Amino acid sequence: MGKRPKPAGISGPPGRSASGESLRIGVYVCHCGLNIDGSLDCQEVARFASTLDGVVLAKDSMYTCSNSGQEMIKADIREQGLNRVVVASCTPRLHEPTFRAACAEAGLNPYLFEMANIREHCSWVHLHDRKAATEKAKDLVKMAVARARLLEPQVETQVPITPKALVVGGGVAGIQASLDLAESGYQVYLVEKEASIGGRMAQIDKTFPTMDCSICILAPKMSEVGRHPKIELMTLSEVESVDGYIGNFRVRVRRRPRYVSRECTYCGDCAKECPQHAPNEFDCGLSTRKAIYSPFAQAVPATYLIDMNLCLNKHGIVACDRCLQACQHKCIDFSQKEEFLDLEVGTIIVCTGSDVYDPSSLTELGYGRFPNVITSLEFERLINAGGPTAGNLIRPSDKKVPRTVAFLQCIGSRSKRSNPYCSNICCMNTIKDALLIREHWPETKIYVFYIDIRAFGKGFEDLLQRARREGIVFIRGIPGEIIQDERTGNLKLIGENTLLSKLYQYEVDLAILSVGIEPRKDSAVVKRLLSLPSMADGFFMEAHPKLRPVDTPTGGIFLAGCAEGPKDIKDSVTQASAAASRANILMSKGKVTVEAITARIDPDLCTGCAACSRVCPYGAILVDPERKRAQVVEAACAGCGTCAPECRFGAIRMRHFSDLQILAQIDALAETAARRKILAFCCNWCSYAGADFSGVSRMQYPTEVRIVRTMCSGRVDPLFVEHAFSKGIAAVLVSGCHPGDCHYINANLQTEKRVQRLWKKMTRLGLDKDRLRLAWISAAEGLKFAREIQALQAVVAALSDEEIEKGIRAFSEKGQAA
Amino acid sequence: MKSHFDEQLLYECYECARCTGSCPAALAVEGFNPRNYLLTCLRMGLDAVVSDEKLWCCTTCHVCEDRCPQMLDVTDLLMSLMNEAARRGFIPDKVRAGSQMVLHTGRVVLVSKRASEMREKLGLGPLPEIPVEEVEGILEKTGLAGLLG
Amino acid sequence: MRYALFLGCLIPVKYPGFESSTRAVAEALGIELVDMPFSCCPAPTLIKLVHYPSWLALAARNLALAEQEGLDILTLCNGCTNTLKEANLVLKNEAALRKNVNDLLRPYAKEFKGEIRVRHLLDVLCEDVGLEALRKQARKKYGFRIACHYGCHFYRPPRIMYPDRLSPSKSLVPTQMEEILSAAGLTTVQYSRRLLCCGSALGTKVDLEAANEITREKLFHMAERRAEAIAVACPSCFEQFDRGQMMINRKHDLDYAMPVLFISQLLGLVLDVDWKRLGFDQNRVKVETLLGG
Repeated sequence: MGKRPKPAGISGPPGRSASGESLRIGVYVCHCGLNIDGSLDCQEVARFASTLDGVVLAKDSMYTCSNSGQEMIKADIREQGLNRVVVASCTPRLHEPTFRAACAEAGLNPYLFEMANIREHCSWVHLHDRKAATEKAKDLVKMAVARARLLEPQVETQVPITPKALVVGGGVAGIQASLDLAESGYQVYLVEKEASIGGRMAQIDKTFPTMDCSICILAPKMSEVGRHPKIELMTLSEVESVDGYIGNFRVRVRRRPRYVSRECTYCGDCAKECPQHAPNEFDCGLSTRKAIYSPFAQAVPATYLIDMNLCLNKHGIVACDRCLQACQHKCIDFSQKEEFLDLEVGTIIVCTGSDVYDPSSLTELGYGRFPNVITSLEFERLINAGGPTAGNLIRPSDKKVPRTVAFLQCIGSRSKRSNPYCSNICCMNTIKDALLIREHWPETKIYVFYIDIRAFGKGFEDLLQRARREGIVFIRGIPGEIIQDERTGNLKLIGENTLLSKLYQYEVDLAILSVGIEPRKDSAVVKRLLSLPSMADGFFMEAHPKLRPVDTPTGGIFLAGCAEGPKDIKDSVTQASAAASRANILMSKGKVTVEAITARIDPDLCTGCAACSRVCPYGAILVDPERKRAQVVEAACAGCGTCAPECRFGAIRMRHFSDLQILAQIDALAETAARRKILAFCCNWCSYAGADFSGVSRMQYPTEVRIVRTMCSGRVDPLFVEHAFSKGIAAVLVSGCHPGDCHYINANLQTEKRVQRLWKKMTRLGLDKDRLRLAWISAAEGLKFAREIQALQAVVAALSDEEIEKGIRAFSEKGQAA
Repeated sequence: MKSHFDEQLLYECYECARCTGSCPAALAVEGFNPRNYLLTCLRMGLDAVVSDEKLWCCTTCHVCEDRCPQMLDVTDLLMSLMNEAARRGFIPDKVRAGSQMVLHTGRVVLVSKRASEMREKLGLGPLPEIPVEEVEGILEKTGLAGLLG
Repeated sequence: MRYALFLGCLIPVKYPGFESSTRAVAEALGIELVDMPFSCCPAPTLIKLVHYPSWLALAARNLALAEQEGLDILTLCNGCTNTLKEANLVLKNEAALRKNVNDLLRPYAKEFKGEIRVRHLLDVLCEDVGLEALRKQARKKYGFRIACHYGCHFYRPPRIMYPDRLSPSKSLVPTQMEEILSAAGLTTVQYSRRLLCCGSALGTKVDLEAANEITREKLFHMAERRAEAIAVACPSCFEQFDRGQMMINRKHDLDYAMPVLFISQLLGLVLDVDWKRLGFDQNRVKVETLLGG
């Protein structure tokens, strides 16, 4: 990376905006009740703000985001002629849109608004040092005002939205979302990996708390999906690749061949003749199926399929033609091939559902060794009239009706050895199952071994009370071990009844492990394709746990069902309708506004070297080799800013996040006591959100840090870091999304490269490279952020004045920007 | 010298009782209950547990740790409690005797004439010599001698 | 294959047959055993419970002795294995503790450096000698059904005893004994509560009768599967099943008759070493009835 002539950006004469008008900045410092004012002096911050150049008005108020607060700002804009507004309050990720809208309503371009985060990043994380927190807040306001001076009005472009939706996953959530959207008039593509839709709900017997027959209430919905004119159902299909952006996604779907055509009448004559057998996955391996089969009776589409791994015919050679002979309608076709379909959609809803925990790892429970230890899902199949035993509850070893049954709760949940979370449904599922057994086999004794019973929903507590009244015995204390009586196949459960503080030994005929729910194993593929973040447990992360529960951080992509977290049918259906509604809102507008943060290339400075184009994750920069010009495709540009640092000629200007604006923030920060400060670059989607999360969780960390927000860590130009050191700043943290999780696909790879180069340079110049730290912090890793700051603070505390001076000299001599 | 457990982690116990449910000592000794010891420590402080002589019934088999869903070091906790009990002057007779034997002879069992006879019959050499002064010296410095009284 | 032989306290004094059978088996398999003036390991069930730092210091002395010769330690007792492996790991990882311990050892010209490993005989047989070699060297066949008892200190907690086989999601289930005995041509049986403690430590510390209750649970399940003999890899477990069996029979009027054989005694039988060196005199539940078939 060589020298650049000057940093990109537009500025005006001192004290004036780029367009030459004199700056009239209004600063509002919010108390947020006691949330901010409780830890720092808001009035003092407002007083300080009023001393800054260009600030004509500085106030502090209780709740600036409230109606009255917004009205006050609007009035001030109109009456006081404010042409820039800075609000020092909570995180912009929460209220930037609120205040931008208020400015727009008062006639001020919303991009002339800036926020200083003095809550999540200040008052909440420095609860016990009022003086330092106040000083930090002042700094943050100073930085915000410095940026505000250089902000320019922007116009947002509009991009048309394809009025079509992709729903990934055909369980009850996917089914509901598809129906809602189709009924609203949109074309829906429902992509399902298995041969039939229905998911887990098709497997279970009854639902709680109403004890409805699960497939009975699901099947009509499945049929509706199958015949809806607006739903194109693709089974045996998976998403292969996804390109594009909100409103304009290009999706490639891979469809595996069924080898049976749509003319299939579902008569089943073929399966009767097929000689091959395999465990039936739908029945959890408790029964068999043939190579040509239908997954279950109510399958949609009602078409058979052939499992070619099992079929005797391979490589197009038909050695066994029994099914061909048996089929009256001649709908078996071994020549079918895999297909790829290219779809254009405006929105995507992810409903990939769940798998159950495999308890074989818990060797002390004997699952897999003792035939009469089964999982709750296997039990659902046993007790289901369509299952392997036609609904007769018989135990695997001797096919006898069990006289005593035990349910063990929390198997594979609430545990550091398996999944740390509670799986939501197991308590109610067990209560429902226990009542089912009681109903049909009133002589059978039932024990439920639990730690806590979670019966939180509507009608749940009633069901629990009913279970107790029916004589189902609840024992608090999970068995430590299960042993088997070789002769009878009975099981002995050994444990402690914690309420009586006494050891127990219960002999039962059948033990049912209430296994937890996990995200579907192949959801990792979907995750990667859509660049969706997930929590440590593997479930997809929603944009905001309370206020945006079905949105993902990526615009246009929504979540529903167990893909987001373990939940029951009611909540899955609720989320599915919610996600459909969110998608509807987007698509009904017909167009989406592109945030005005895209890249602009100055044709006069551009030499057509294409360095920028090579790093763009979206391929949004096109280079004309003849005219030696690069141009940004506005609609495809996501505004990550990774291109700008690549340009050696200063030709790329990032709208609303220009070099000058960022450098101004650094200068503001470095004005006082630079050698005790840490500058942290945080990306909007992950690390800034992670720092917010530390605040929300009230994690405390040292006050030395000041955060500068960029959309992506790829925006961070090494020159910013060098500039910071040239101003005597003690340490710099560059943070972004984890590799593989970058919100802008892979822009953070560039971040890593640039930081590596910086480290080499620092070492070459004899500087302590520990002063520059690189950290990958996700939105959920508040603790990691706090720890990074603590680690850097230790570095800062140990820094000598000499080292600081060395940095100033080293990077100033290079004649760097500003 | 070494703290066996981080007290904060004990708060993670949600009383599932897999530990006591698997415990061999709980099987054999009425009133020995690892889960209960942990809970009592948390809620009532360790005094109540340290003075319980049944505490020493732990066989240190570690099966509680193996099965705890929160991965708590239950055995380490009980060991620390026994260390504390010893510090307060309570050591069961057999334990005191065994420890004293190691202190003074370097072995935990008494060497008898029969031992030498058996060894000879099997064609083994005499019992290895143990530098008792060294062992005693080390254990005086660590404070064991003082503790045992 | 050269190791420092760690006999512990019980074997050389009370059950020297285990020592002699081990030496005999080692000779047959080409393992060289070096003797050193080790003290009590010290037992994880005595001094460690009274005063952890003392336990650590004495264990360090034993480890340092072997380090001086540059030899890995081969143990024959679960307790010794547990103590030495844990002390080894703790001292390797914690500088402050290591410093304290070395300060104590310095006057005796010893220093813990963390350069050797501690291996139980079972692992040496499985990994260093190898199951193939055992298969080849087996000379005599026996058909009696053996219930293998690993005990607890042999492999728990896995994060200390077998950190490279650690998996938080799956409890470690040991199989070395069955593998070795099968390779040697012997028959093993599975039984419930195979991983339950023998109860020995409860007996030596507090209450032998209570300890025997635990042993009785084990004997019950072994007998339920018609085990004819019990294989152990620890002299404490041996005593509990051997002497304990007699005591339990007497107290509860039962007639368990499952001879208890130490692993090297069993291998000694199969490798056809000199009968006198197997030391079956010390087995209270007589072995002779087994060996007819």
